[in-house]
Amino acid sequence: MAVEDAGRLMERVRARDADAFEVLYDEYHRLVYGLAIRVLSDPLVAEDVTQAVFLKVWSSPTLFRGGNFAAWIARVTRNRAYDLLRSRAIRDEREIPESLPAEDAIEDTALANVTAERVRGALAQLPPEQRELIELGFFGGVTQEEIARQTGLPLGTIKTRIRTGLRRLRSALEGAVTV
Amino acid sequence: MTPHDEMLDNIAMYALGSLSPGEAAEVAAHIETCKECRAEYQFMRPAVTAVAYSAEACADASTGAAAPSPLIKARVMQRVRAEAGQQRVPHVWPAYLFAAACLAIALITGLAQIALNARLISQGQTIADLAAPDARRFAFSGGEVLTRGDHLYLAMRDLPAPPPGHVYQAWTLAKGAKTVAPSTTFLPGSGGATVVRLPETATTLAAVAVSVEPTGGSKQPTTKPIALVRI
Repeated sequence: MAVEDAGRLMERVRARDADAFEVLYDEYHRLVYGLAIRVLSDPLVAEDVTQAVFLKVWSSPTLFRGGNFAAWIARVTRNRAYDLLRSRAIRDEREIPESLPAEDAIEDTALANVTAERVRGALAQLPPEQRELIELGFFGGVTQEEIARQTGLPLGTIKTRIRTGLRRLRSALEGAVTV
Repeated sequence: MTPHDEMLDNIAMYALGSLSPGEAAEVAAHIETCKECRAEYQFMRPAVTAVAYSAEACADASTGAAAPSPLIKARVMQRVRAEAGQQRVPHVWPAYLFAAACLAIALITGLAQIALNARLISQGQTIADLAAPDARRFAFSGGEVLTRGDHLYLAMRDLPAPPPGHVYQAWTLAKGAKTVAPSTTFLPGSGGATVVRLPETATTLAAVAVSVEPTGGSKQPTTKPIALVRI
C-alpha cells in the first residue's frame, strides 16, 4: 500500500471510520504479527500484541503524525513487544534496549514501498556474520553488550559489522527508494 | 578510531535499537548537534525499517502457520465497530449471507440438503461467542475451530476462491460415528478472514473438516479435506 493511501486511511480512522480501519488491519496485520512473533517467539503472545497494537491505532490515531505508516506501526509493534519482555521479566531489564523513536517514521518514507520478499532477498545477500548480527540486534530484544556476551565477539567488531551490513542493505534496496 | 568514528558506529546501533536507554539518550543528543551524524542516522534508518518488513508473516495459505488467528480480527473489529457506532454487517460474516441465500433457494426448489439446517442467529450472539474467554479454540494450519457451549464456529484465513462451480463445505463427525455428515457450504470472506457458524451442536462432535465441493454441496466428501481438526 502506498504511503499516501495509508495516510488517507488514517485520516478516516481519526474521523472514526471503521471501514478504513479494517482496510489498514487487512494490509498490515501480517507485518505486526510477524514482527511480534520474531521478538517474542510465542504465537499466542504475538496475537495479543497484534490485538493491542491495532486497538491502539484505533483508540489513539493522532499518535501517527504522518509519513510512513508501515514504518510507524512496525516501531510501535516492536516497542510493545519490548515492553512485554520488560513487564513479564522474561529477561533482565538492563539487557533490553531503549524503544525506537516512533516519531521518526514521519521522515521515513525512503524504502516505504519495498516488499517483505525483496528485503528478505537483500538480507540473504549479506555476509552471514553481518546479517545474523543485524537480526539479533533488531529482533533479539537485547542491548549491544548482551549481543557481545551471546556471540563472544568484541563490541567494536559487532558495531562495525552492523554498520557495514546496514549500509549494504540500504544500497541493495536503493532502487526502491521513493524520495 | 577517533571518538567521532566511534560515534558513527554507535549511530548504527542506535538506528537498530540496540542501545541501552542511557546510551540511546547520549546518541540522540549528539544527533541533534552533529550534522554528519544526523545524516548518517537518516541514511541508516530506512534500512532498519526494511529489516522490520522482512518479518512480515507469510501470506501462503497452504502453510498458514505464520498468520494470526482470524478471531483476532473479529475481536478487534467488534470493539472498533461498537465504538464507531456503525451498524453495518461486517465483512467477516459473509457466510451468513450465503447461508441465507442457500435457504431461500432451498425453500423454492425443495432441494434443501444443507441450508435448511442453518440457523441464522443474531450477529451479536456470534461476536459474543468469538470474544468469550471461555470459548475453546482448536487450531489447525489454516485457521481454527471455536466452540462455546453448544455453539460451533469455523474460522479460516487466506482462503482462496474455490474453482468456478464449487464452494467450500464443512463436515462434522459425531462422537462415535464412523462417517462424516454434511454441514454448511460457504465462500471465502473478503479481507482474508472467513468465519462460519456451523449449525451442529458442538458438544456432540468429535471432529470438523472442510473440503471443496460442487456448488450446492455434497452428501459425502468428493475431494480430499483441506482441513481436519479434532475437538
